[in-house]
Amino acid sequence: MKNPLSTAAIILVVMFVILEFGMPLFTAPLPASLVYLYLALTLAGIMLFATMSGTSAEAFMGPIRRFLAGDGQVGPAKTARILVLVLFPFLVGWQTFSTLAPSDMPPAENRTIHPAPPGEFVGLANPLPRTQNNITQGQGRYFSLCFPCHGAFDGKGPAAVGFNPPPANFKDPGTIAQLQESYLFWRIKKGGVGLPVEGMPWKSAMPRWELELSDEDIWMIIMGEYAGAGQEPRTWEEEEE
Amino acid sequence: MGHTMRLTDWAVVGLMGLALVGNGLLGPKDARAQEGEAEPAAAEASEDVAIRIGLTEEGLPDAPFAPAWDEVRAAEFKLSPQVHWPDRLLDATVKSVRVRGLHDGERIAVLLEYQDPTMDSDDAAGLEFMVGDTKAHFAHGQEMLQVKGGPVNIWFWRNKDGKAVDMSAEGFGSLAPQTHQDVTASGEWKDGAWRVLFTRSLETANPEQDVMIVPGRWTNVAFAVWDGQMMASGEPKEKGSQKAISSWWYFRAEPPPDYTVFIYAALGLGVAALFELALVKKLRKG
Repeated sequence: MKNPLSTAAIILVVMFVILEFGMPLFTAPLPASLVYLYLALTLAGIMLFATMSGTSAEAFMGPIRRFLAGDGQVGPAKTARILVLVLFPFLVGWQTFSTLAPSDMPPAENRTIHPAPPGEFVGLANPLPRTQNNITQGQGRYFSLCFPCHGAFDGKGPAAVGFNPPPANFKDPGTIAQLQESYLFWRIKKGGVGLPVEGMPWKSAMPRWELELSDEDIWMIIMGEYAGAGQEPRTWEEEEE
Repeated sequence: MGHTMRLTDWAVVGLMGLALVGNGLLGPKDARAQEGEAEPAAAEASEDVAIRIGLTEEGLPDAPFAPAWDEVRAAEFKLSPQVHWPDRLLDATVKSVRVRGLHDGERIAVLLEYQDPTMDSDDAAGLEFMVGDTKAHFAHGQEMLQVKGGPVNIWFWRNKDGKAVDMSAEGFGSLAPQTHQDVTASGEWKDGAWRVLFTRSLETANPEQDVMIVPGRWTNVAFAVWDGQMMASGEPKEKGSQKAISSWWYFRAEPPPDYTVFIYAALGLGVAALFELALVKKLRKG
């Protein structure tokens, strides 16, 4: 390599582009802390390589040293050096400020949207046959009881606006399409107050319907809900694949 | 020039590495790390997620229409008819509430403002808070099945009473006025809208029952409004559990400004500049 310094810069930039923009094509975006940690490791690797011999160390560090010392510099190089020397302390000052500045934002609360159900609600099958009559009856109950919040299966009922978290949108592929019927049975029967701590039960407006509905009513509603939202419950077969 | 790495070289490289790691670890942009699990930052439908109670040195406004309120930003929270538990209400009169607040380090004043076309003696409004660090369900601290909950503190005002009632609840049917009444309230109806002003000291002698409002610390607040318009049946349109409500939102009395962070930032800047000077001096010596 003719100029090890520019090679190192190119390697770092390419690494950054791969980590920041390339990886998300295959997996979830990497957290910023991980991206910068990888970059620091890359830099460490570059340094190992650059300091293998005295000559390579000189080729790598010499230009940096001369740039910072500034002897005999003129024109753009001189301006660049002054800029770097002036900006660096301000950058440190800014980093200190942004790290220590007290936040006036509400605490971040990571609520788990679909926490694990209690054991007795795992793998239950809907005991009712999937007949048009059962679906119609389920939807009748849905529209009188669930519609105010969940609306026409889209989570936008007339009574939804005051609640945080908002009522679930059953048409969204991330809700009931990912769940088994037994999961819905648990959530409807025990309501928001039945959630474990990671589900933040104190925030949920979902009623505990076991106090007002029979199990059969709930299974009918589940059937009507899937049909109305145009979704299929997740099944054991899919899970095993 | 020598042919090995010098101390100054390692200092330069070390700084580059620090900048990379520091940027990643300290940077403010890491929220996406948990994107998969976190709920949306706020319900899209709601205007605001938090009410910040500003600190004032000019005395708290003592009336719902005091001119000082015009200078305070209102946070708006949508309300839902109470459909969570019987007796339900399917359509509430009041659709949203605008909330303002000020504190002076000793007392706090919270102003609710909402549209209500008629002024009725049974019109009422309430603020609800979690008490202490124990989580409580927004519906009167009702029982949760897997989590041990705590009490809620409710500040209730009704037009015909002309005063506040400081109440506690820990579950349905347990709502009761406290023996210590610490809250005052007054309401004024004008041009189709109520303004109800609640005041209390930030802290009280009853931390078991009352919300302790510590400047700088977030707590949870919920709102409730009743339209007391008298119906042909002789009953108010909304009463008891039939009301317009919100679930929990965030509430904080703002702390006094903290200037120490500027001192630390200046210190960081100074240390960096000194380090830089020493480095350049050493490099020039060769």
